[in-house]
Amino acid sequence: MADPAQPFSLKPYLKKTKIWKSIFRHDFSDTPRTRLLRIFGNVFLHLQPVRVAKDAIRVTYTWGLGGISFFVFLVLCVTGILLMFYYRPASMLAFQDIKDLSFAVTLGPLLRNMHRWAAHLMVVVVIAHMVRVFLTGAYKPPREYNWVIGVILLVMTLFLSYTGYLLPWDQLALWAVTVGAQMAANAPILGNEGPFRLPFITTANDARFSLIGGTVIGDATLIRFYVLHCVAVPFLFCIFLCVHLWRVRKDSFSKQTGEKVDVWPHLVSREFLAALLVLIILFVWSLLMNAPLEAEANLNVTPNPSKAPWYFVGLQELLVYFDPWLAGVVLPTLIVVGLMAIPYVDTNPKGVGYWTKMRRKSFGPFSIWVPQERPFAVSVFMLGTILWFVLIFIGTYCRGPNWEWYWPWEPWSYRRLTKLTLKNIPNLWGGLLVMSYVAMGTPLPAKAKELIAAKAGPKTPGRLFALLHLGLGMMMSVCLFVPLLISKDADYPLRSRYTTLFEALGRSINAPVMSNLYHLFQQAGPAVGSAVVGVMILVVGLILGRIGIAFGKMKNRMFDELGLVKYAIVISLLLMMMGVLGKIMLRLLFGIKYLISLPMFNFNI
Amino acid sequence: MDDTPPVLSAPDQPTNPFEGLKSPNDMWKLLEERFGRRQFLLKSGWAFFWVFLGGWLLSNLRYLFPNVLYEPTLSFKAGKPADFPLGISEKWKKAQRTWIVRTDKGFYCFWARCTHLGCTPNWFDAENRFKCPCHGSNFNRDGDVVAGPAPKPLWRCAITMADDGQLLIDKGRLENRPGAREKGEFFLPYESA
Repeated sequence: MADPAQPFSLKPYLKKTKIWKSIFRHDFSDTPRTRLLRIFGNVFLHLQPVRVAKDAIRVTYTWGLGGISFFVFLVLCVTGILLMFYYRPASMLAFQDIKDLSFAVTLGPLLRNMHRWAAHLMVVVVIAHMVRVFLTGAYKPPREYNWVIGVILLVMTLFLSYTGYLLPWDQLALWAVTVGAQMAANAPILGNEGPFRLPFITTANDARFSLIGGTVIGDATLIRFYVLHCVAVPFLFCIFLCVHLWRVRKDSFSKQTGEKVDVWPHLVSREFLAALLVLIILFVWSLLMNAPLEAEANLNVTPNPSKAPWYFVGLQELLVYFDPWLAGVVLPTLIVVGLMAIPYVDTNPKGVGYWTKMRRKSFGPFSIWVPQERPFAVSVFMLGTILWFVLIFIGTYCRGPNWEWYWPWEPWSYRRLTKLTLKNIPNLWGGLLVMSYVAMGTPLPAKAKELIAAKAGPKTPGRLFALLHLGLGMMMSVCLFVPLLISKDADYPLRSRYTTLFEALGRSINAPVMSNLYHLFQQAGPAVGSAVVGVMILVVGLILGRIGIAFGKMKNRMFDELGLVKYAIVISLLLMMMGVLGKIMLRLLFGIKYLISLPMFNFNI
Repeated sequence: MDDTPPVLSAPDQPTNPFEGLKSPNDMWKLLEERFGRRQFLLKSGWAFFWVFLGGWLLSNLRYLFPNVLYEPTLSFKAGKPADFPLGISEKWKKAQRTWIVRTDKGFYCFWARCTHLGCTPNWFDAENRFKCPCHGSNFNRDGDVVAGPAPKPLWRCAITMADDGQLLIDKGRLENRPGAREKGEFFLPYESA
């Protein structure tokens, strides 16, 4: 304003006032100095470094997934806070309030839709972020701890979703929470219906009771979940989020190549664009699709079928195959602990900071893509992830009324006549089967190999090892088929009209292998049938043994590299994962309910 | 303990701490350093702090278990026995979550709650089964599991005759063991038809 020839202009004037200067400590010209000042002069931006390696912010390296999940979390906070103005957490009011929000409140539907869809998006993005971090080896030292924090954040994301969808107090909400709370009642030791229950635990003081604040789901449950969803878990989430973001920077970035560039504008602009893109997607999504709202919660009537939101359908499907304490408590815990353990058991230093190259490898007539580096780690992790999504697919598209199997193209019918039959294998056979399976994890340490080779010739250890696997494979095959053919049906005559397992399962409609064998025996006579079964036992046994041998070398190498403890952790997690797959196959193909069943301890596998 | 203040000298390695001590006085000094008054006060101070903090935080776990519950009563009168035809009655399912079963010998009553994870099954007359919509458990007319993941038979409620001739059902008293569930208060003999 010093030059009287210049006309008065507001902005330059304002910039000279004390108020402006007290708020903004630096000018906004595009100079190297200001670029730095913008980052460390700003409390929100200073979580980032001022300069960062060019390759680390390449979109195709991170896909911006971590930043996007943070942004979606912010969207959830804003929409959630706005929704709280109309929502009252009481069972008489909650459903009405949600209906008001969906139909009577200006912009209410948009906010509710955005909150719901952003929650779904957050689950997707957080999982994708985890997969990205795994595949680029970004969890390896010195970033192990941050991976653990990340897993905790993933669990909290899922828990926030879970507590969130009780709040509308519709049927979906109520039955999801009924099932979730009942899983707590099935927790070992602390649950009223779990295995190894403590003698003083009853339905009025077990884990479920403390979760839902009573013995039946009601107002006490709603206020608990409301507080968890709106205050308690977000509070913890923010704390862990701070540590997570801080550690990303402090633990050094996984990618350090390329010249350093200024975070302002190179990274900040990318973040801004990503946020804008996500916001547009969420807006369009929320304008086009309404968040679902089922009928008002009814404690006495369950919708048929009652399906959880997609990210829990995998768990719901898993619950079909195992006892609730296993599928609902032990397996999820082991999955989470197993994820956390990854950076501590993975001692391979390779593959940090880039996407592993894939190469074609042929297995006999087949050829598949395998990662060039870390083939074992990548395969196992991806197999686990894919398995989880296969379960989600089955639960979403292959399950109809009464949770019965319907192919995706089959129309549902509530009147379809379906009499499912499931049978237990006698404990002795089942126990042998499980033990042989677990024994498949045995390695042949280098020392033992030398010892045997010194005593009995250089080829003996390899042969013994192969023999062990073939033997175990045959054992598993025998322990599966023989009891199915010869055992008596333990349910006869109370629950079954058939005297043998073979007849009961052979006449069922849900055990394709057994019914085909049964028909074979009926039509071709027992001699041909027995011969076919004999060949089947042999073939299945040989295949299982061959798979064991194929992994034999890898097991030995892993044992020698990792040592006993880490090897035990890795192999038990791997066996568990494959065991889940195996049990699912046994259920779907053979109609087997449990391999080992000890009802008095609530212990069934 | 990483809260040991650095002013107090601690040996670097867990070797014999008495090695290289020249006189008993030296040893006394070492003991004093480790177990003396200062150490005692310091450690007991921290112990009190952690015990108090931990105890208080843990005691809040008890806070999560309410002492008074505001929940609906578990017993109800289901009407006269003659009102029920033979078979499985769904009359009280929506209001009281129970099935009342009448056989030619008498009455028993199921709590309509799946023993797997607590959903309400549906009765399918054609298949003669209860089927659960959540994870696909199947129960037969006796409440025994015939398929699906449920670990136990359906619970039966206590069923007695009230003074006014109505069926009195109590969902607070439950039984599902074969042998025990077909007698006593869990089965009401009633033959006049």
